[in-house]
Amino acid sequence: MNGLDRFELSDEWLIERFKEGDETAFDQLVRRYEQKVFQHAYRLTGNPDDAADVAAEAFLRMYTALRRFRGDAQLSTWLYRIVQNVYYDFYKREQRHQHLPLEISSEEGDELMELPIPDESADLDALLLERERQRVLREAIDKLPDYQRVVMILFHVEQLSYEEIATVTGLPLGTIKSRLNRARATLRELLEPYRELFEVGDSPTWSEPNDAVQTGQSSAE
Amino acid sequence: MRCKQVRVLLSDDLEGALSPAMAESLRAHLSACADCRREWQLQRGIWRSLQRMPAPDAPADLHARIMTYVRGHQRARAQSLRGLLWRWVGAAVAAAALFLLGFFSARPGGVMADFKLFGSGKSSVEQDSRPVASGIRLEWRAVGGGERIPVLHAALNRQASAILAWSSEPGVPPRLAQRIWQGTLQPGKAVEIPLPLLLQQSSPRYAATLWWTVDDQHRAFFVPEGYPPMARANLRLRASLSEALAMLADAYQAPIEWLPATYSTNPTVVLDVHDATLEDALHQLLIGTGYIARQEHGHWRVLPR
Repeated sequence: MNGLDRFELSDEWLIERFKEGDETAFDQLVRRYEQKVFQHAYRLTGNPDDAADVAAEAFLRMYTALRRFRGDAQLSTWLYRIVQNVYYDFYKREQRHQHLPLEISSEEGDELMELPIPDESADLDALLLERERQRVLREAIDKLPDYQRVVMILFHVEQLSYEEIATVTGLPLGTIKSRLNRARATLRELLEPYRELFEVGDSPTWSEPNDAVQTGQSSAE
Repeated sequence: MRCKQVRVLLSDDLEGALSPAMAESLRAHLSACADCRREWQLQRGIWRSLQRMPAPDAPADLHARIMTYVRGHQRARAQSLRGLLWRWVGAAVAAAALFLLGFFSARPGGVMADFKLFGSGKSSVEQDSRPVASGIRLEWRAVGGGERIPVLHAALNRQASAILAWSSEPGVPPRLAQRIWQGTLQPGKAVEIPLPLLLQQSSPRYAATLWWTVDDQHRAFFVPEGYPPMARANLRLRASLSEALAMLADAYQAPIEWLPATYSTNPTVVLDVHDATLEDALHQLLIGTGYIARQEHGHWRVLPR
């Protein structure tokens, strides 16, 4: 999303203009990244109100720090870092994450109805199944410790490479891999009772060559 | 290949990180072993579901909310700076004053801080090394290209376990602040902790909060961003004590140390002063809180009465 088309000003140029005192450049940068920042915040917090608060604070911090931004990382990577820090600062403190047991479910149904469904041509059963899968997954992710959740979402959902995650979190690659492995193991255990949901519709394509799930991510080693 | 080995390699396989030969023998095992095949399918199902994890579109008013929030904070900051009547000292006087701030001594718990004047022996340490507390001080190190990063220098005359945590929000209790460093201090042996994050993530409202915990005793340092210090300010606030102190540290550009009786004794305070010195502001602020402010070794400390 927010990909640059050829008529769009580059981030670097907008940042330079902002440093020279042009406030409209900041406005444009916010427009460019607010959707991405909001969605990432939503994936971390699981709540649209909290996500909007995190996004506002993240852009405030961006405003303060942008003059010192030297462009040695992509602006988007840097923003992930800010969102992560805001998330740690506010949402760990306020303990807004009530860890619900996986059994509690139907109350969040309304909210999930508003979520976009990836493939609208799929039949209703598949849609309902996918919705159920995502609900169970969301609840399991909310049970992960914060530090595991952040790495897991950056890798699996936002699909950043190990190197990019290292830039975002400031962690060594080895730590990222071990956290990711722990997060995967925990998630897998939490989802064990729901395994049919995740196996369903999955034809035995295991014999296909190069059936790697991730694409466009470089491996750390 | 055995089942145990296969289970370990599953996520590498899903990531596409296995060598062709390893992938080949993994697949050979999967085609023969139904249990491992099920496990592989489950894990792949989870991976794929994660990639499809939905997020709603941002609310229609998100842009307006963000800009109102950012502008509101910018205005508040501009007003608090406009309230300052005059600058107290020029850079030369500030440097001299800082020199006087260099020494610190015992804290109530009986821990002797032992450290040297800044700049001693190290040419990379710049003039404006900034003392923040007993046993610790902040220095600005040149790292080339005109860039400088803050480095925390800590020393103690006995062995103790210590934790340094940081937060841009002064209301965050120490155990929830972002842990930067943890280790054991050895008698007479200094530890240096680089703090580039103070540059990246400062808040426009508050001085940065550093929590320094030695043997489970917490103390906060509110470290302002710049120099020279300001002498007088107009301030109007209603906040928790820790937030108020961080705002004062920011407004006067003076480090303030806070020794909470316990973390939970963080009362709400109000302040409305005009053309006040830091001393006046602190005294006003602390009335009825059970805390007192004392200027010790050149910087302000707020302690339980």
